[in-house]
Amino acid sequence: MSANPRARLTKSTRFTISLKTREMLAAYAFLAPFMAFFLVFVVRAVVEAVRMSFYDWHILRPSRPYIGIENYLELVNDDVWWIALQNTIVFTALTVIGTTIVALAAAVAVTRPIRGQNFFRVLLYTPGLLSVGAVGLVWVWLLNTQFGIVNYGLSFVGMRPVNWLGDPGLVIPSLSLTSIWWGFGFPMLIFIAGLQGIPEQLYEAARIDGGGSADLFWYITLPLLRPTILFVTVTGVIAHFQVFGQPFIMTNGGPGRSSYSVIFYLYQIAWTAFRMGYGAAVAVCIAVIMAALTSVQFLVLSRRIEY
Amino acid sequence: MFKRLSLLLTVALLFAMLLLLSIPTSIVAQDAEPTPIVGAFGGGETKISYWNGLTGSDGVTMNEMLAQFAMENPEYEVTSEIIPWNTLYAKLQAAFVANQPPDLVLMHASEVPQFASFGVLMDLGPWYTSGGGWFDETDISTITYSGMQYQGVTYAIPLDNHGRGLWINTDMFEAAGIDTDPATAPDNYEDWVTLLQALTLDADGNNAADPDFDNENVVQWGYVVGEWPRVNFLSALAQHGGEMVSADGHITVNSDAGVAALQQAVDLVYEYNVSPPPAGFDTWQGFASGSVAVIPTGTWFRNFAVDQTDINGMAWPQVQFGAQPATWFGIHAFMLPASSTPEKAAAVEALLQWISANQVTWAGSGQVPALLSAQAALDPVNYPSNILLGQSFSDYGILDYQSTAVQEMYAALDPELDAALNNLKSVEDALNDATERMQQVLDRAM
Repeated sequence: MSANPRARLTKSTRFTISLKTREMLAAYAFLAPFMAFFLVFVVRAVVEAVRMSFYDWHILRPSRPYIGIENYLELVNDDVWWIALQNTIVFTALTVIGTTIVALAAAVAVTRPIRGQNFFRVLLYTPGLLSVGAVGLVWVWLLNTQFGIVNYGLSFVGMRPVNWLGDPGLVIPSLSLTSIWWGFGFPMLIFIAGLQGIPEQLYEAARIDGGGSADLFWYITLPLLRPTILFVTVTGVIAHFQVFGQPFIMTNGGPGRSSYSVIFYLYQIAWTAFRMGYGAAVAVCIAVIMAALTSVQFLVLSRRIEY
Repeated sequence: MFKRLSLLLTVALLFAMLLLLSIPTSIVAQDAEPTPIVGAFGGGETKISYWNGLTGSDGVTMNEMLAQFAMENPEYEVTSEIIPWNTLYAKLQAAFVANQPPDLVLMHASEVPQFASFGVLMDLGPWYTSGGGWFDETDISTITYSGMQYQGVTYAIPLDNHGRGLWINTDMFEAAGIDTDPATAPDNYEDWVTLLQALTLDADGNNAADPDFDNENVVQWGYVVGEWPRVNFLSALAQHGGEMVSADGHITVNSDAGVAALQQAVDLVYEYNVSPPPAGFDTWQGFASGSVAVIPTGTWFRNFAVDQTDINGMAWPQVQFGAQPATWFGIHAFMLPASSTPEKAAAVEALLQWISANQVTWAGSGQVPALLSAQAALDPVNYPSNILLGQSFSDYGILDYQSTAVQEMYAALDPELDAALNNLKSVEDALNDATERMQQVLDRAM
C-alpha cells in the first residue's frame, strides 16, 4: 500500500484519458453492437435497394442489365402506382386521425380514477397483441355482407346489408376502421404517459379560475400533449403508410384496384412478377415520400411545442 | 382485492379471446380433419424434402399417400411442407437463389416455362418411356404432355388434371322442375339464362324471370360470377373462338370474343339478376348455406361439397355461353431442382414411381388423375365428378398460355375483370386497360 495516495493518483492519471473522452468511448462501446447490426442489416440493405433500382433485376435471371433511371420513368407513367398511392394516402389520413382521436379519448377515460382502471387498460390494449392475419380474418367475417354480425346488427334498425369490403367507396374506410381497432392500444399507452406528465396543479389552478372540463381539456391537456400528439402522428404515418396485411387478407386489393396500397403493389411487383429492380424503385419512392411526409409533420406540428 | 379481481378478469378475457380465435372461421358446422402444414412420414435414412400448395382437403389425401409410401418403403423419410400456392412460388424463388431448394416440388404446369427458363429445373425426359424411362407419355393426354414441356424439353411428371366445372344444388333444381342429368345442360347462353333465372328467387318466391321479381331482396341466387372470374373468362373466351394471346404475340383479350365473353358475365349480374356482384359475396359459403344453386368451381370442390356441407349436390360440366364448349384446366406436376444429386434424384424417382402407380388413390382428393389408365379405372359410383369433369378436360379443355410471365399477365388481368364485374368500369374499358398492361408484360418477357 502506498504511503501517499495523492502521489499514486498523480502517477496513474498521467496515462489516463479525460473523463469526457472516457464517457464518449463508453457511449460508443454501448452503441457499437447496435451500430454493427444497423450498418449490416439496414444501411447496407438500403444502399443495395437503391443500387438495385437502377437494374433490370429479376430474382432468378442471371443477367441483370443496368438500365439507369428507366424503372423510375416507368413508375411515373404507371397508372396502378398512382391509384395505390392515392388509396394509401386516404387510408393513412383516415387511420392516423382516427387512431389519434380514439387513443386520446381512451387514454383520458382510463386515466381517470375509475374502478377497474387496469382492467380496462389491458382490455383496450389487447387487440394490438393480435397478428394482422387474425385481425384480418375476424374482420372479414364481422363485415361479411351475407353473414356478418355488423350487418346483422344493422338489420335491427331497418338497414339493408352494407357491402363494406365490396363497395369501392367504403372499402378504404372499412380497412381503416379495422386498423384503428387493431392499433389504437399502443398510442393510448403513449397518451396515458403524456397525461400523467401534466402537473396536477395546472388543473387545480384552472378549476379555481372557473374552468370547466372542456376548458381544462382544450387549454391545458391538449396543448401540453402536443409533443405526444406529434410522436403518435409521426409514428402512425410511418406505420400506416406501409399497410399491407389488411388489403392482402381482407380484399386482395379489390374491388378492382380500390384497395391497392403501395406496399401491396410493391409485393405484387416483387413477388408475383419477381421484378426486383422495379420493386426496389417503388420501395425507394415510398421511402422518399414517407420521409417528406414526416418532415412536413415535424414542421407543422412542432412549431408551438414546449418540451 | 379489486386489483386481484381485475387481474382475474383480464386473464379470463384473454383466455376467452384465444378460444374465440381458435374457432374455425367457417360458418358451416364441420369436423373435417385439418391439413397438417408440415408432416414427416417414415423414418428411413434417405430423406426427401417435398413442398406443395395443397392446402385444402387434397393435402390430406396427399399426406395419406405419403404415409402409405413410407410404410411400404421404410428406407425413406419424406418431409412434406404445405404452403399456399402464391407463397410457395415466392419462397421457391428465394430457395433457388439460396441454393437450398426442396428435393421435390409440386407446381402448376403453367409455372414450367418460368422456372425452366431460369435453368433451375431438372430435365426429366429420361424418366419418360421415349427417353428410356418408366413414365409412359402415351398414357396421358397430348395436352397434358405438352404442359410438361418448355422449348422441347420435358421438365415435369404430371399428377392430375384439375379444372373448371359446375357444382349444382340438386334440391333447388328439382324444386324448379329442372332435370339434374348433366347431359341436359344447355349449350347456349340464352338457355343458360333461362335456367338460371328459374333458379333465382326473391323473398316472395318469385323467380328472376317473373315481372314481380324483387332484385333487391334475393334469397337464392342461380349463379355466382365472382368465383375465380379469370378462369371463367378464359373458358368463355375460348368458347367464343378467342384466345388470350394471338399467334403473332399480341394480347387479344379485348377482341370481339373477349368483349362478348365478359359482357355475358356482367349481364348475368346487372341485366338478368341471376348472380350477385362479386365483391363481398362469399361464393363457397353461399353454396354451403343454400343460397346459391349453381357454383362454377372445380374438381377440388368435391370434398368440400361432400364433407363440409349438407347440400345435395353433384358436378355438372362447365357452362357453355359461346358457340363451342371449352373449359379451363390446369395440371399439378412434380418437378425437381436441376441441382439435385444423383442419390436424391433416385430417391425422388422412387417416390414418383409409387405415386404414379397409385394415381387412382389421388382421385380421392377430387382431382382427376393425369394417367388415362387411372382415369379409366375410376369407379363411377364413388368418383362421378372426377369422371365427368375429367372427360370434359380431355374433350375440350384449355390450358394456360405458355409464357415465362403468365402470372404477371394474370396479375394485370384480374383487377380489370373484377372492376367490370363490379360495375366500376365498362367491359370495353376494362379489357382495353388489361390488354395494354398485359402487352407490356408480354413484350418484356419476349
